[in-house]
This record gives sequence, C-alpha cells and structure tokens, in this order.
Amino acid sequence: MAAENASADPRASASPAGYEERADTASRAGAWAERHPGRPRLRPASPRPPGKALIGAGLIGYAWVAGGTAPFSTKALLSVLLPGAVLGLIAYGRPPARIPPPESIDLGGMSYWLVCIALLFEWEASAFRDNSPPWHPSLTALINPLLAPHPVKSAAFAVWMLAGWALVRR
Amino acid sequence: MSTRAITIVGFVVIIAALAGLEILGRRKINRIPTLGEWLGYAMRPRAGRALILLGWLWLGWHYFAR
Repeated sequence: MAAENASADPRASASPAGYEERADTASRAGAWAERHPGRPRLRPASPRPPGKALIGAGLIGYAWVAGGTAPFSTKALLSVLLPGAVLGLIAYGRPPARIPPPESIDLGGMSYWLVCIALLFEWEASAFRDNSPPWHPSLTALINPLLAPHPVKSAAFAVWMLAGWALVRR
Repeated sequence: MSTRAITIVGFVVIIAALAGLEILGRRKINRIPTLGEWLGYAMRPRAGRALILLGWLWLGWHYFAR
C-alpha cells in the first residue's frame, strides 16, 4: 500500500534536486514559524507554479506594449479588444471557478452605493454636457493627462485587465 | 475658489465616498455590501453579467483606445 502511494506521488521518486527543493521548502516553513509563532502561514510554503509567473510576465509585457500605442489608432483599439475577446471567450466558453455571489443584497445598504454612483454620473454628465471646458472638466479630461506617461498607462492597463479577470470570476 | 477647482473637489469627494463605502462594507458591521458583493449579485443573471462585462470593455476602450 505504501509502495502504491509512493508510486502515485511523483515527488516520492524525485531526484536529489527534488529532495533539495523539498528541504528548502521545509526550511522556509520553519523560518516562518520561528519569525511568527502561533500565526498560520496563509500562503503555502511550496513554490508557486511556474505557469502563473509566465502568465503574469505575459500580462505585464502585453500591458507595456498596449500602453505604448497611440490613441485613436487601430493598434490601440485592437489592444483593448483582444483582452475583451479573450475574457469573453473564457467567461462563456470555459468559465473558471466562480466566487459564489450573495443570495440577496440589503437594499438599504445598497442605496448608499446607488446615491454615490448617481452623483458621480450626474457630476460627469454636467461637465460632458458643457463639452468639458477647462473651467468645468469631465473626469475623462482630468484622468487622461495622468495616464499620458507610458509606465502609468501600462500600469493602468494591467489593472484594467486584472479587473476584467476579477469580474469573470464573479 | 475657481469652478475648475470646485469640479475637481466634487470628483474627489465622490470617489472618496465610494472608497469609504468599500471600507465600511468590508468591516461587516453594517448592511453595506462590498463592491464585489453587489457586482456579483448583479452578475447572477446572464444579462447582468453581459452588461457588466460590456461596461468593463467600454471603460478600457474609453481610457486606452481613445
């Protein structure tokens, strides 16, 4: 039985390098326990799967390229539509494990959100109606100059993509 | 105070209020839902899900493609 378990577990027949990796993981877990006695370690001590690191690097690279596109260009449009299409396909084709939504929402509590969102839209609409002059700018006119530097725009693009992923998981 | 400054202060106050609601919602000592909770609730029907995702796509187009 033990032999069966050992053969089922790929780590059991690991090479010396694998043994070193496990020993390193165990030593890191021990170091955590020494530094924070009594506190459980929230993140598992095992190293992160390399897939996530690759996806993260890919997203950062994509955000960097997308952040460098000129406004109103076809490249800029495609750089936005591509993540939209990918997330749309994931959302409807292969949805990930979702965070369960609440069964009900308290209307009284929700009303605070609704009032603030209505105020934001009203404030924005009043500026938009005036054609966003410098003396009454819209939110877009205020945010666009902040997004002008390439690193800032790329970071905002990455946040936007992560927000999309968070929405797909909801 | 110029009208431009008043407009900016208005936006800052509203956005700060939204951030405050999120903080209050996370404290779980009141009835205020978090952004994630009410978005999740709104996304329960298929149409709500499509609308919220379209809103997200519009936001990206508005700020990054234009």
